[in-house]
Amino acid sequence: MHSRSLLRLGVSLAFALSADAVLAHALLQKAVPAVGGTVSSPSEIRIEFSEGVEPRFSGIALTSAGGAAQPVGKSAVETGDNKVLVTKIGKKLPPGVYTVNWHAVSVDTHHTQGSFSFTVQP
Amino acid sequence: MSRVYPRALVGAFAAVGAALWFTPAYPHAVCGSRVFPATLAIDDPGVNDEFAPTLTYQPPNSGVQEFDAEFSWSKTIFPNVGIVISDGATWQHPGGYGWEPLDTELQWGNFCWPEHELMATVGFDVSWAGTGTGTQVQPFNLYTPVIDVGKGFGDLPTSLNWLRPAAVTFELSETFPGQASTDGNQNATNLNWGFSLQYSLPYYNANVAEIDNPFWKHIIPITEFTFSKPVYNFAPGTNVTTGTIQPGVVYLADTWQFAVEAIIPINGASGHGVGVVASVDLFLDDLLPDSLGKPLFNLGGK
Repeated sequence: MHSRSLLRLGVSLAFALSADAVLAHALLQKAVPAVGGTVSSPSEIRIEFSEGVEPRFSGIALTSAGGAAQPVGKSAVETGDNKVLVTKIGKKLPPGVYTVNWHAVSVDTHHTQGSFSFTVQP
Repeated sequence: MSRVYPRALVGAFAAVGAALWFTPAYPHAVCGSRVFPATLAIDDPGVNDEFAPTLTYQPPNSGVQEFDAEFSWSKTIFPNVGIVISDGATWQHPGGYGWEPLDTELQWGNFCWPEHELMATVGFDVSWAGTGTGTQVQPFNLYTPVIDVGKGFGDLPTSLNWLRPAAVTFELSETFPGQASTDGNQNATNLNWGFSLQYSLPYYNANVAEIDNPFWKHIIPITEFTFSKPVYNFAPGTNVTTGTIQPGVVYLADTWQFAVEAIIPINGASGHGVGVVASVDLFLDDLLPDSLGKPLFNLGGK
């Protein structure tokens, strides 16, 4: 009886898995500037997530190596692709190491946050 | 029960919850930027909606080899309260077939301090008498209060970037038999503890440096350690610590994971030879967010 129940559960699950939309936590997949990368002074920060995000509850902050906040614009999702969060950088960044702190709420309300660094070359 | 549950342990659970300035997290063991994968020897520190079939092979020990086919279904009742139902079949050679006792664990947790990737969950597990068959008959219940804690090292300074993908998880539990003795044999109370060491390449890709390879950026090398020791009502000469060391690897995708580990006994009392365990874990909260994957009662949640 247990084996049959397990089989029924497995079959039901297989049908259900093939039929429903897939939602997940918004975890960073790729960023520009690249995570840990070295670039010329960027004009914006773009983060591609594994899941669509809610721009009202998601954001990007930028600090210098000394911890000073750098001016950035309001974060917004890219038109037609809510997996990409974009923030304009308000000034040309002098050479140095910068830290990006991001937080995101996915469209299914899961909260995530993280940080990474990149280097601006002379 | 052969003894009253130790109030000190219950008090310790409460103290942990009160002492840490936790905020609710969400399934499945995600805290800040850290994903704690489902582990095979001990539990992860989250309350989840998951379904995980597991296969285990144990080489001959005292002439008996064993193959297990088990499943574990984790279901949230409220966003941070859930129940885990586990069961499965065991084949022993020589010995034969048996259906294992039904195991249920009520969990409360997902306590998360995201800045420090610190996560905890407490639970109370019951292995039910009379639900096993064949070689797995169990004439009394087993009661196990348990605490699981996870800590990621993402809060280290960027000068220690290479360490930030690392994480540890811990589990502490004590198993109390519902009967002091059976057929003249003492049923011991056991203290169980274990931990895992993990190095997350998904975390490395998202927080340290981009990984171009689409396979490696899903890999988490892991080693688990589990130990158990009779601490009360044990027969003379049997209070030996047993345990396993389980090196392995996890492939972590967005909605599922696959994990495989070797099972290496720490001493002769723990077994002989190297076994293997493998499991697929389906994240139902991500796969079926509007049906099986959501809490039965979502108070103010999504």
